[in-house]
Amino acid sequence: MVVRKKNILKKTGFLLIVLLIVTFSIFPFLQMLSTSLKYQFDWGNPSLIPTKINLEAYKELLNISQTTRNIPDSIKRLLDNPKLSKAQKRAIIKKYEETGNVFPFLKYFRNSFVLSFTASFISLIIAVLGAYSFSRVNYRGRGTIQRGVLFVYMFGGILLLIPLYQMAVKLGLAGTRGGTFFSLLIIYMVQTLPVSLYMLGNYFRTIPFSIEEAALIDGCTRFETIRRIIVPLSLPALATVFIYAFMIAWNEYLFASVFLRAYKNLYTLPIGLKSLFVSKNAIWDRIMAASMLTATPVVILFLLIQKNLVSGLTSGGVKE
Amino acid sequence: MTIQAKGLKAEEERFGWKLILPAIIIIASLIFYPIGYNVFLSFFDVKLRGPNTYIGITNYRDIITDLAFWHAVWTTFLYVIFTTIGTTLVGLGVALVMVKEFPLRGLVRAIILLPYIAPVISVVFAWQFFFDPVNGIFMHLTYEKFHLFDQRFNLIGSPQNAIIVAIIFNIWKNFPFSYLMILSRLQSIDATQYEAAEIDGASGWQKFWYVTLPEVYFVVGSIVILRVIWNFNKFEEVYLLTDNVKVLSVYTYFKAFTGTMDQGQGAALSVIQFLLLIGFILFYVKRVLKW
Repeated sequence: MVVRKKNILKKTGFLLIVLLIVTFSIFPFLQMLSTSLKYQFDWGNPSLIPTKINLEAYKELLNISQTTRNIPDSIKRLLDNPKLSKAQKRAIIKKYEETGNVFPFLKYFRNSFVLSFTASFISLIIAVLGAYSFSRVNYRGRGTIQRGVLFVYMFGGILLLIPLYQMAVKLGLAGTRGGTFFSLLIIYMVQTLPVSLYMLGNYFRTIPFSIEEAALIDGCTRFETIRRIIVPLSLPALATVFIYAFMIAWNEYLFASVFLRAYKNLYTLPIGLKSLFVSKNAIWDRIMAASMLTATPVVILFLLIQKNLVSGLTSGGVKE
Repeated sequence: MTIQAKGLKAEEERFGWKLILPAIIIIASLIFYPIGYNVFLSFFDVKLRGPNTYIGITNYRDIITDLAFWHAVWTTFLYVIFTTIGTTLVGLGVALVMVKEFPLRGLVRAIILLPYIAPVISVVFAWQFFFDPVNGIFMHLTYEKFHLFDQRFNLIGSPQNAIIVAIIFNIWKNFPFSYLMILSRLQSIDATQYEAAEIDGASGWQKFWYVTLPEVYFVVGSIVILRVIWNFNKFEEVYLLTDNVKVLSVYTYFKAFTGTMDQGQGAALSVIQFLLLIGFILFYVKRVLKW
């Protein structure tokens, strides 16, 4: 009896510790969600549950039902005038839409998406070839190259920032919109490449070589075996590596802040959010809503690949 | 070896190089070349427009005679020490809990990885909100509930205290990394070792000390060195949370990209930062890992 009581106590204590760890991990996210849904009078209220749900911040960021929101009443009366043609009305509304949209969330979202998607896609293709070479082909210098790739982990972004920026300036890339976008694209590519190489190399080693041999005997070339055997067999790993690379690019702030400084139209979400915070429009509900919307894609992608990613990370494919 | 076999081997070699070449070109031209170029730039007065002028070691002299630089070195040192110890210990503790069986373990294990994968920019605001003097939960608890302070203040806003928040934030953000690495090692410990220890009458603490700890010693050693490298180079997790904590990365960023934009000095700073890191690693590998 005493033993059982002690056991129950022990078990409850243990579960309390688990609960504590979970709370520690997700409390900031809960705070984010909570504040994004609160009205200003409610911000100082320590309870996470809003007294009244406020969806305005999300609506504003996602541009839902914003058409008439920023239009002054006098103009609204003018719009009721039946003498105006539809086109004229639309022109008036459009004018207010543009000035009213203080934080072009959707535009930044699109920029971030295009940049991250392209960079991680190209990085993935190059990494498939390189990782195959690492894991399957024997040649002199392979070990040196592999160690060289690992060495890259030593260099943080700040060490590469100045020389890469100077290179972009000297090559004339930093002076144009297209050039800047291109520079950032290849920088993101190279940032994600070592991790992709490493993770994929580890995965390819788990595919039995005998499958490839059979294909080679049937007359496939080496290159065809990559396309027809290795790639289809490692689709989950490819997806994992692609998403991980995508997340790295999506989260990047440092290079974007320097390269895109002069091009507001190309801003990615991280710099957009930072500029929103320092601007006078810094309102907690809107900042938190924007944070939620920035984090959501990453969280969803992570949950999709969670199992594979964990094994990839623990076998050494990590980047910070 | 027959001629044919030799030919095959040469072909294999060519094939291997062909596949790795794109990756090599990109990494060489965008990582290794810039590192060299950075050293070159550090001896120049870098102009944003027009040609650079060679000025020898002036940049380096300017840096080491600047007190602010030594302050940044000290700040970095504190930041790296505490964040590395913190993430490793928290990671170890969490791993020891997560290795046990309990309901919803799969879900819990996934959830506690969220801090590590979430974008820095999206989570810094929540942390800033915690310490907001008017609305934040920190002031609510310490000032209103427990009366630890006699007035409301902004913990992140002051240069002396902001580093505390930066360290806690880093631990929160990165403990999942240490946890994951240690957990995967813990899971591969042979259960019979614990059974043997139990038969010998070992207590829980003794089992941890004599079985678990020796098993995780090397993974912890590797985590520490990785965390030192990464925390030493950290920029975003510090700068985005508060610009009051001037670790070397942030100091360099301000020198090179704000005000007069002295990129020559910035380049010299990053060379110094790199040398400091290499120096530490050599020391660590020799003394701690005893290679």
